[in-house]
Amino acid sequence: MSLGLEQLTSCFQGILPAMFFTCANDGTPNAAFLSHVDYVDATHVALSFQFFNKSRRNITENPYALIRVIDPDNNQGWALRLKFERSETSGPIFDRMFLRIEAIASYAGLKGVFKLKAADIYLVESVEPVPEEPGRQERWSSRSHGQPDPVFTMRALQELSSRMTTATSLEALLESILSGLKEYFGFSHSMILLTGEKPNALVTIATRGYPHGGVGAEVQFGEGIIGVVAEAQHPIRISGLVRGMLYANAARRRALERGWRPQEEVRLPGLENPASQLGVPLVVRGELVGVLCIESETPYRFHEEDKNTIELLGASLAIAVQNMQLKEAGEEPAPAPIRVPAKVAPIAAPTTKRASRQLVYYPSDEVIMLDGDYLIRSLPARILWKLLRVYERDGRAEFTNRELRLDKSLGLPEFKDNLETRLLLLRRRLDEKAENIRLVPKGRGRFALELGCEIELVEK
Amino acid sequence: MLDKSLTEFLEQGLAIHIGTRNAALRPNGCRVTAVRVEDQGRHLIAFIPTAASPAVLDDLRTNGQAAISLARPTDDRAVQVKGEFVSVRDADESDGAFALGQWQSLLAELDAIGLAQLTSTSTWLMWPCVAVRIRVTAVFSQTPGPEAGAVLS
Repeated sequence: MSLGLEQLTSCFQGILPAMFFTCANDGTPNAAFLSHVDYVDATHVALSFQFFNKSRRNITENPYALIRVIDPDNNQGWALRLKFERSETSGPIFDRMFLRIEAIASYAGLKGVFKLKAADIYLVESVEPVPEEPGRQERWSSRSHGQPDPVFTMRALQELSSRMTTATSLEALLESILSGLKEYFGFSHSMILLTGEKPNALVTIATRGYPHGGVGAEVQFGEGIIGVVAEAQHPIRISGLVRGMLYANAARRRALERGWRPQEEVRLPGLENPASQLGVPLVVRGELVGVLCIESETPYRFHEEDKNTIELLGASLAIAVQNMQLKEAGEEPAPAPIRVPAKVAPIAAPTTKRASRQLVYYPSDEVIMLDGDYLIRSLPARILWKLLRVYERDGRAEFTNRELRLDKSLGLPEFKDNLETRLLLLRRRLDEKAENIRLVPKGRGRFALELGCEIELVEK
Repeated sequence: MLDKSLTEFLEQGLAIHIGTRNAALRPNGCRVTAVRVEDQGRHLIAFIPTAASPAVLDDLRTNGQAAISLARPTDDRAVQVKGEFVSVRDADESDGAFALGQWQSLLAELDAIGLAQLTSTSTWLMWPCVAVRIRVTAVFSQTPGPEAGAVLS
C-alpha cells in the first residue's frame, strides 16, 4: 500500500462519485458508479447496500472488487483493491451511513424508498494512485483559512464558552453563538432550532446569514438533515449534498415511473442550494433541546475537525440553552403589571409610511395573518393575539411572563412550558415580518408591546 | 443493439469507465475519455488514455470481457454496455477532435452542478488514447433506483 487510507479521508466525503468494479463468477465484469464510500478505519471502507444490484450479486459470488475515488482537494485519483468481509445492519458504521442516506432521501421525499439495507465492510488490500488522474501539487483550499491550528480552535471554543456563561438571556446566548461561528470559524450560514410546543418538531429560533431570516420555520423530526439529526440525536455531516441530491432525484424519477406516490418534497429553512451541511443535536442527559445547523454553498466546506469542534460546542450549548430556559422561566417580577391609561398613543413612532395594519386571527388553525401574509402560528400566535386584544380593550401595553403563565386560555403545558423560548420566537418573528409591531424586553420577566402603527384586529 | 436515441445519449459527453477482469477474476478498470458508436450500434469504440494502467488492455487482449459504464452527471442517468473486445489501435488526430469534444461536453455538465473546479482536468492525462473496438452484447440501465439493472437492449 503506497498510502494509508487515513490520508485519503477527503476522498470519502461523497463530493465526487466513485467507481466500483466487480466480476461475476462466470467472468463477466461490471462497472458501476457509487454515490459514497465510507471510511471505516486505516484498513477498511464501507459501501452502502441499498438495492440488490449486479455489483452486490457479484460480490456474493466473488468477494474481490476495485474502487476508484478522487481526492476533491487536489484531483488525484486513487485505486483501492478490496475484499468483501461482512455486512452490518446495525452499529455505528451502519447508523452513520443510514442517517446520511435518510437525510438526503428526506429532501427528495424518498424516505422509505431510498433506504440502506446494510453497510458492506471491505478490507482494503492496496491503495495505488491512478496513473491517468494525477493530482495537482497544491491542494484546493476549500477552507478559507487552511488547516485549523488546534490552539486557535481551543481559543475559539474558550471564547464561545465565555459568551455562553456571560449571556443574560436566551436571545443573547443564541445570537452570540451564531455570530461567534462566523467570527471565529467563518461559518456564515447557521441556525438554531429548539424543541417546542409540538411533539417531534423543532422550530427555528435564531438564524444568521439568510436574507429572509426564517425564524419560526418548523421542521418535523426525520425531515432533512435537521430533522434526522433531531430524530437520531446524532450529528450528521454531508459534504457532497449536490451529488447526493442528484442521485436521490434520479432514484425518485425511476420510482415515479413505477407508479410510486411520493411524499411532499420538504421545504426547510436554510440555503436554497447548500452543498455542505453539518447538523449537531443539542442534548442534555438524553433529552433533545434543539439542533445547531451550519451550511455552505461550497462542497466539502466542513472537514472532520470542524465536525468534532462543532459537536463539542453543541454539547456546551445544549446545557447553556437549557439552563437559560430554566433561569428565564424562574424569573418572575414581584409587582403587579403596570397599568397605563386606556387607549394610549402608539409607543414608538411609525417607522414606515404604513398607517394601519390588519391582523387576522384564525382560532381553528391558530394562525395570525398580517396584511394577508402569514405571520405566526400555534402558541406564539395565541400569545400575540391575547396581547393585542388586551391592548385594544384596555390600552395596556406592558405585560409579565407570570400573567401569561397563569392564563389558562393560552393552554400552556403545566410542566416545561418553554414560555420564554416562545416569546423569543414571537419577538424575532415580529422583528422579521412586522417592524412596527414589536415586543420589547423591559427587565426581568416583563416586556412591552410597542406599536408604530394603527392596528385592526379581525377574528375569523 | 444501440439505437439512435441511445447513441445520442452515449456520445453527448458522459462520465465513462471501462471495467475488465484478469484470469483470476480480479477486476480492473480505468477512465474512458469518450466513446463512439459504430456499425449501426453493434460496436462501440472506447477511447482509453494511454496513461491508464496497462492491466485493462492486458485483460481485454487475454479474455475480451468488458463492461462500460456511462453516466450523465447532471441527472445521474446511466447506462452500462457489456461487450467483447475486437481490436485496438492508436487513436489518430481526427479521433482526438471527436474524443476531446466529448470530454469538453462532460466538463460543461460538471460545471452545471458546481463540480468543474473540483474536476479540473489540467493534470489529468485524457489524451493521447488508444481506440478499443468492443462488440456490444448487452445494454442495461444503471440509473439509480429500484430498476437499476433493467435490460435496455
